[in-house]
Amino acid sequence: MNAIETEGLCKYFREKKALDNLNLEVPKGIIFGYLGPNGAGKTTTIRVFLNLVKPTKGTAYILGEDIRESRNYLRKIGFLPDVPNFYNFFTAREFLSFIADITDIENPKKRIEEILELVGLKNEKGRIGTYSRGMKQRLGLAQALLPDPELLILDEPTSSLDPQGRKEVLDLIHSLKDNKTIFFSTHILTDVERICDRIGILKEGRLLLEDDIENIKKRYRRRRILIEVDDLKRFSERIKETLKPNSIEVKNNSIIIEVLEIYNTLKEIPQIIVQENLLLEKLEVLEPSLEDIFLEVTNAT
Amino acid sequence: MLLKLMKKEFYEFRKTGKLIAMIITFLIFSIVSPITAKIMPELIRSISSEITIIIPTPTWKDAFLQFFKNLNQMVFLIVVLLFIGSIAEEKNRKTAGLILSKGVDRKKWILAKFLFQISLVFILTIISFFLCYYYSVILFPDTEFDVSLQSCILFLVYMTFIISLTIFSSSIGNNIIQAGGIFITIFIILGILNMLSPVRDYNPIYLSSLENQWVTTGVEWNSAVKTIISSITLSVILIFIGLYSFNSQELE
Ligand SMILES: Nc1ncnc2c1ncn2[C@@H]1O[C@H](COP(=O)(O)OP(=O)(O)OP(=O)(O)O)[C@@H](O)[C@H]1O
Ligand SMILES: [Mg+2]
Repeated sequence: MNAIETEGLCKYFREKKALDNLNLEVPKGIIFGYLGPNGAGKTTTIRVFLNLVKPTKGTAYILGEDIRESRNYLRKIGFLPDVPNFYNFFTAREFLSFIADITDIENPKKRIEEILELVGLKNEKGRIGTYSRGMKQRLGLAQALLPDPELLILDEPTSSLDPQGRKEVLDLIHSLKDNKTIFFSTHILTDVERICDRIGILKEGRLLLEDDIENIKKRYRRRRILIEVDDLKRFSERIKETLKPNSIEVKNNSIIIEVLEIYNTLKEIPQIIVQENLLLEKLEVLEPSLEDIFLEVTNAT
Repeated sequence: MLLKLMKKEFYEFRKTGKLIAMIITFLIFSIVSPITAKIMPELIRSISSEITIIIPTPTWKDAFLQFFKNLNQMVFLIVVLLFIGSIAEEKNRKTAGLILSKGVDRKKWILAKFLFQISLVFILTIISFFLCYYYSVILFPDTEFDVSLQSCILFLVYMTFIISLTIFSSSIGNNIIQAGGIFITIFIILGILNMLSPVRDYNPIYLSSLENQWVTTGVEWNSAVKTIISSITLSVILIFIGLYSFNSQELE
């Protein structure tokens, strides 16, 4: 069963199509990375999921409920907004006990201490108004996790964290995977590579790609090889002659070639090296990074 | 849920100093009003000792006229200023979206604010009334309890309308400026209508003149029935439109 499923979901702001016929599937129990350039419609998607705006057309099913018909599912969701803003007059503990109060959490005192420990705000006694952006993001995560929700929806959860904090939060999100589904939007592709099982790439309200990370990498694997030899000039001439690569790129003391067929190429290269009596220093088949894929997918349209 | 949400409003008022500001405003005027009524003639006499002005001796009526004048000016202003942003600013700061995304019912969220505000104003008004009455009796032993209390009930009806109007304005506006604009526009229109006698009897603003009338010439429920009924009806309509509009709004 899917935690989130959308059916031809559209959201127009006047004539602006923020979401255009979105068909998304997020299976239960995975970490889903929702990617897209600025203004792609990521936050809008999340606002629709949370019933803060109504879809123009189509609908979404969240934890099995149609968002047009019920708001009960909201009780099973934890949400971290993109720019977390809370009541400035509360301290973190007071704010969390208010949230615990309205979401009917059992044994709130204990739970609040646990969560504060988890997000690293245990020793913060001050009012939220005095918090830094990163601290607010941590508190945002705390209030989202507090009711132990089935589905976590996080809008750019690591955008204002320091490197240490980013690692902690990613590890935390990763560790929650066992009994939760996590849907998070981000621009930070290394975060996605680190923890996501599946991604969707959105641009101008349209979903360009949605698949498991493994499949995507297979699909976009380019036939690129990096070679380092002692005489680059002679080597690249021979390569051009015999292999006729799609592209050839010389960088510092290495050469990157892109070919149509990788197996023959890998057989030919050592032969050339032997024939020319060159010294082979390095040979590497290059994996595409998610960034390469992201740029390729979003620039293609 | 309503109580939990009201508790948060109370907490907010306490933490941000709004509660203290309201208590002080109410209390100051309940104590000061009878005293000013008593000493005003002497004050005027001391300033203009050259000419003799004939000033009638002050009575308990002057104490309560002062009291209602202050309630309708300063207290009114404080109440509107502190309440007008209650919904609009939460929309603006996105805290509304955060809380409502947790499955809190939108209507309850607004109603909790309304109930909190009206309880606070009623409690403070009643306490101030008794304080004012207490001081008035000390200064003017013939103070009439029945008349002043019934005039005070008119003020409570009037405040019900004003709070409904702030809730309405705040539900519609997207920030405190918009909400304030809506409030002032409606209030000015009502003020202009209050000068036209045919609709005057149905105008909630007329209640504030009635308070004074009752204090000076005696209680007369018959003349106020229309105004009271229409004020309460209008309050219900305003709250209803506010709830309905907020329910279909897009939030961030
Ligand atoms: N209330 C609104 N009225 C009009 N247009 C809107 C509104 N909200 C969003 N949009 C438009 O919808 C588009 C998608 O915005 P959205 O905030 O969803 O992008 P995003 O993917 O979250 O971007 P970012 O990465 O910058 O957070 C943008 O072009 C934005 O201008
Ligand atoms: Mg966004």
